Amino acid sequence: MASPGRQGGGGGGGALSTRGGSGARRMKWALELSLGNTRSRGDRQGGQGDVVYPIGYSEKPVPDTSIQETDKNLVEKRCWDVALGPLKQIPMNLFIMYMSGNTISIFPIMMVCMMAWRPIQALMSMSATFKLLESSSQQWLQGLVYLVGNLLGSALAIYKCQSMGLLPTHSSDWLAFIEPPQRMEILGGGMVL
Amino acid sequence: PKATTAMAKLILLCLKFVTLCGSIGAVFEDQVGKFDWRQQYVGKVRFSHFDTHVQSSKKVLVATENNVFAALNTRTGDLFWRHVDKTGPEGSIDALLQHGQDAVLVVGNGRLLRSWDINVGGLNWEIVLDSGSFQAACLSGQQDNVKHVAVLKKTVISLHYLSNGHQKWIENLPESETVDYQAVYSGGNGEVYALGVVPHSHIAIVVYSADDGEIIKQVSVEAPWLSNIQGSCAVISQGMLTCVDPAAVSLYMLDLHAESQMTQVPLQSLGLEVVPGFRPVLVSTQPNPAQQPLSEFFVQLGPENYVLLQLNNGQIVTLRDFKPAMLVSFVTAGEKTVAAVMSPKNKTACSINLFSAETGRRLLDTTMIYSLDPNVGKPEKLYVQAFLKKDDAVGYRVMVHSEDHALSFLQQPGRVMWTREEALSDVVTMEMVDLPLTGTQAELEGEFGKKADGLMSMVLKRLSSQLILLQAWIAHLWKLFYDARKPRSQVKNDVTIENLSRDEFNLQKMMVMVTASGKLFGIDSKTGSILWKHYLEDVPSNAAFKLMVQRTTAHFPHPPQCSLIIKDKDTGLATLHVFNPIFGKKSHVTPPALPQPILQSLMLPLMDQDYAKVLLLVDDQYKVSAFPSTKNVLQQLQEMASSIFFFLIDSSQGRLSGYRLRTDLSTELIWEVVIPTEVQKIVSVKGKRPNEHVHSQGRVMGDRSVLYKYLNPNLLALVTESTDQHQERSFIGIILIDGVTGRIIHEAVQRKAKGPVHVVKNGYEYWSTKSRRNEFSVIELYEGMELYNSTVFSSLDRPHAPQVLQQSYIFPSAISTMEATLTEKGITSRHLLIGLPSGGILSLPKMFLDPRRPEMVSEQSREENLIPYAPELLIRTEWFINYNQTVSRVRGIYTAPSGLESTCLVVAYGLDIYQTRVYPSKQFDVLKDDYDYMLISSVLFALFFATMISKRLAEVKLLNRAWR
Repeated sequence: MASPGRQGGGGGGGALSTRGGSGARRMKWALELSLGNTRSRGDRQGGQGDVVYPIGYSEKPVPDTSIQETDKNLVEKRCWDVALGPLKQIPMNLFIMYMSGNTISIFPIMMVCMMAWRPIQALMSMSATFKLLESSSQQWLQGLVYLVGNLLGSALAIYKCQSMGLLPTHSSDWLAFIEPPQRMEILGGGMVL
Repeated sequence: PKATTAMAKLILLCLKFVTLCGSIGAVFEDQVGKFDWRQQYVGKVRFSHFDTHVQSSKKVLVATENNVFAALNTRTGDLFWRHVDKTGPEGSIDALLQHGQDAVLVVGNGRLLRSWDINVGGLNWEIVLDSGSFQAACLSGQQDNVKHVAVLKKTVISLHYLSNGHQKWIENLPESETVDYQAVYSGGNGEVYALGVVPHSHIAIVVYSADDGEIIKQVSVEAPWLSNIQGSCAVISQGMLTCVDPAAVSLYMLDLHAESQMTQVPLQSLGLEVVPGFRPVLVSTQPNPAQQPLSEFFVQLGPENYVLLQLNNGQIVTLRDFKPAMLVSFVTAGEKTVAAVMSPKNKTACSINLFSAETGRRLLDTTMIYSLDPNVGKPEKLYVQAFLKKDDAVGYRVMVHSEDHALSFLQQPGRVMWTREEALSDVVTMEMVDLPLTGTQAELEGEFGKKADGLMSMVLKRLSSQLILLQAWIAHLWKLFYDARKPRSQVKNDVTIENLSRDEFNLQKMMVMVTASGKLFGIDSKTGSILWKHYLEDVPSNAAFKLMVQRTTAHFPHPPQCSLIIKDKDTGLATLHVFNPIFGKKSHVTPPALPQPILQSLMLPLMDQDYAKVLLLVDDQYKVSAFPSTKNVLQQLQEMASSIFFFLIDSSQGRLSGYRLRTDLSTELIWEVVIPTEVQKIVSVKGKRPNEHVHSQGRVMGDRSVLYKYLNPNLLALVTESTDQHQERSFIGIILIDGVTGRIIHEAVQRKAKGPVHVVKNGYEYWSTKSRRNEFSVIELYEGMELYNSTVFSSLDRPHAPQVLQQSYIFPSAISTMEATLTEKGITSRHLLIGLPSGGILSLPKMFLDPRRPEMVSEQSREENLIPYAPELLIRTEWFINYNQTVSRVRGIYTAPSGLESTCLVVAYGLDIYQTRVYPSKQFDVLKDDYDYMLISSVLFALFFATMISKRLAEVKLLNRAWR
C-alpha cells in the first residue's frame, strides 16, 4: 500500500535507502552514501550497527570498580535513607488523613487501606530490608528506626480506623454475638378456658 | 427568612424521603394474586330463596346469621354480590321476602325495611320503621298483583308499598298487652290477618282491610291448649288455620273467614301415630302471595317420618306417608307444585325424590343421590330449585344445608356442582403446620411408628428412614426430570393430599383452621384449596377451643400431631381431639379421658421418646395430668417439676394466681393477685409466643453503646377495663406482670379511655373518650446499659427493675385486631399488622411505634435513624398489604415464619379469609421477580468469550514478538 510513496521518496531524496526487504530484493546493489543512516540494516541485524568497531571496543561504559573511602559514607547515607523512609512518610500520611475526613466512603477507605497495608508489608519484608542494611555499620540502629517508623505508620492507620469507627471497640459491635439467655423456668397458662 | 424556610422544607423533604425509603411495601400490578388469595363467605344460612322470576336465572339469595345478604351463582357457587351489615342484633336479618326481582328484608329486629334489586344487588329503597320488636312479615296481594308488605310487630301492624317502601297505613293492634301477636297472613283477597294468641286461653284474629287499615273483623276463638302460633300452626287452603296439638295428638282447624269453633281432628282417626316425645311440625306452602296457600301440607310425626295430607272439602285425607324421610320441602315451578323428599338410602347415601303435591305420586326420573361424607355434618335443610323442562316435566336442583353450615348444590343424578364451606366464616383459632417433605413418606410412617429400644435397633431405624428419604428424593428428582420434558400446559399443578410436599423455602404450609361449628379444615396456604375437613359432632355451641401442635413434621417417620381441647363452657368438661394436621385423620393415639373440668393447658418444650411435646392439663382441683403420659415423660416431669410454673386468670373473680408443679403432679400456689372486680375487670392477657425469637439482645445507641432489652419470656401483659362506663371516670389499665413470681413490673393507667383494647407484644390501642379518638400506646422495657446475667434468664433472680419507656400516638382509625410479624430468626425488622374495620390490613413499621422517638432531632437520634416524634400516625395507602382485597370483619390475624428470613406468612380471618406474604425488610434474601437473568448471563458469557479470545490473541502476539 505504501510502496508508491516509498518509491517516490526514494527517487526524490539524494540518498538511496533500502527500507524493507522488498526494496532490497528489487535492487541488485546499493550504495550507501551517508554513514549515519544505518537504521534499516541495524533493525535487521538486531541493534548492531554495521560499522565495524575495533577489537576490544565496547559500546557500554565500563564501571569503575575501585573502592574508595568516600563510598563507605555513601552506603551509610543510603542505608539511613532506607531506615528513615517510613518516618518521613508520616507527615504526608497525617496530611492525607486530615484531608480524607471521617466519613465512610470509598476514597477514605482506600486511603486507610493503603496506609495500613504499606507498613504491614514493610514489616513482613523486614528480613529483605535487613539484608539491604547489612553493609552498614549501624545496622541494628537503622533496623530499629525502620521498625519504629513502620510501627508508627500502622499506629496511625489504626488511629484513623478508630476515628472512622471501624474498630470493634464498643459493646454494640459485639451485640450480634450475644446468645439469647437460656430460660430457667417454663411458664404457661392463661385465662380460664 | 425565606431562605431558612426553604431550607427547613428541604430538610423535611429529605427526612420524609428517608423514612419513605425505609418502608415501602406495596404490590406491583403483576403480583396481584400471585402470593395471596382471598375467600369470601357469608355464614350460616338463615333464609334462602331461588330467583324464580326469570326461567334461566342463576341466582340464589341467602340471608345469614352473620347479617350478610348475598346472591350466589348456582353454577359455580361464587358470589354475585354481597352486603355485609352491622354485627350483632342491630344488623340481624329477621325476614327475607322475595317477589319478582325485589327482595325485601327486615333488619335489626324490625328497625329497617329494605328492598334490594336482586339482579345487580343494588338498594331500591330503605325505610326506618317505628321501634318495637318484630314478629312477622308477609307479602300481600290482590288480584294476582303483589303490591304490599305487611310487617307485624308486638303492638302495631303496618303496610308498605313494595315499589317505594312508603307506609300505606299503620294501626295499633287491639289488646296488645295481653295478646301475643305472632303471625301475619294474607290470602290475596285484600285482607290482612294478624294472628295472636293468649297462651293457654284463646286465639285472637284481627282482620284488616289492605286498602285503608280498617279493622274488618275481630274474632277470638277458644284454644286452651295453644301456646305458640309460629311453632305449631300454618294457614292452608282457603284461609284454614291449622294447628297441631302435641298433647292431644290431633289437628285443630279454624276457618278464618267464618266465625266458628275450632274443629278437632285426632291424628289417630287418620291412621297416624306420633313418635312419643316428638313435637309434630306443620309444613305448608303459599306459592304466590296473591293467592291462597295450597291445600296440601306436611306433618312431621317423628324425626324421620313425614306425612303429606290434603284438605279436601273440609276433610283431611292422607296422600302419602313418608317413612323414613329426613327432610321435605315444597317447590313450585310454573303452575305445578311438587314436594321434594330426602330419605336415607343406606349409611353413606340419601336419595331425593320429587312427588306431586296434589296426588302424592312419585314423579318418574327424579331420583337424586346425595352421598353422605362421614366428615361432613348431616343435612339440615333442603332448598329446591324446580324448573319446567321442554316436555313439561319438572326438573330440579337442590341446595342442601348441613349441620356444619356447608352448602352443597346438587344436580341430577346426584352430581355435586359446588360446595361452600360456610363454617369458615367463623374461624376460632388456627395454626400453620409445615408440610412433610413428600406425601409418600408420610404414608410410610405407619411402618416405622413402632417403638425401637436399644442402640442397634435405633441405628437400624434411623438408617432405614434415611434410606426411605433418599428413595423419595430420587423419585422426586425423576419426576422433576420427567415433567421438564413435557410441555408446560400438560403439567398440572393440582394440589391434593397425595402430592403435598414442602417447597424449597417452606413457603407453602398447611393451615389448620378450627371453626365455631366444630368443623376442622386443612387448607393449602398457597392456593387456598381445602385439602381435608373433619366435622366433630356434639360440639356445644359455646365451646372454647385451644389448638396446639404437639409434633411437627420434622420428626419423620412419626406423623405430625395436633391436639385440640374442646371445652364446654357450661359444664366445664373438656374433650381432647388428637389428629394429624396434614391428613386430618384422627390419630391412633388415644387421648386421655378427662373426667374433671379442665381449667387450662400448658405445652412444655419437653418431648417424649416419640418427639411429641408434652401437654399438661390443669383440672379444677389444680391437679395436673400429662399427655402423653408414658413413664419416660413422667420421669422427665419429675426432674423438671420445680421449674414448671403456670398461671391462671379468672376474669369473673379478678383473680390471678401462679402455681408451681410438684413432683407428684399436684401444684402449689405461689402467688396471687386480686384485681377487685367492682372497679375493673380483666379483659385479656398476652404472653410471649413460643415460636418467637428475638435476634438482637439490645439496641445500639447513637454513641454506639448498647441499651439492652428486657427480654423476659415470662412477662405477661394484662389489660383491665373499668367497670364504670361513665366517660369521665372510665379508664383502662395495663399491667405487666412476671408470670413466675407474680411481681408487677409495670403498671399504666389511661384515664378517660375505654375499650376495646387490642394488645400485641409491646403496644396497645384504645379509645380515648376525652379527645374522642383512637390512641395507640407503646411500652418498651429495657434492662439498661448492662446485662444482669447474659447466659441464663431466671425470673427468680432479677434484682433490678427494668427501665420503662412509653409513648402514645393518635391513630386515625378504629382497629379490629392486631398482630406482629414473625420471622424465622427475628433478624428482619418487625411490622405491626393491623386489621381495620374498613377491611384493610395495614402493615405498620415498628419504627413508627418507638418510644425512643425524640421530640428534638439530635445528632445521636439521627445516627440511630429515629424518626422525630409526631403525635399522628399516618396511614399510607401503600401500607395496605391486601390492596383492594377487602377482608370483611377481620377477627384475627395469624402470622407464621417461613423458611426465608425475609418472609412472613399472614392469614387474616373473619368473615373472609385472606392469605398473603409480607416482607417487612423487603426481600433481602431473594432475587427480585424481574431480575434480568438473560442480561446477566449473556454479559457473563460475553465476558467469558471475550477473555478467551483476548487471551488467545495475546498469546499469538507474544509469540510473534518472540519471533521477531
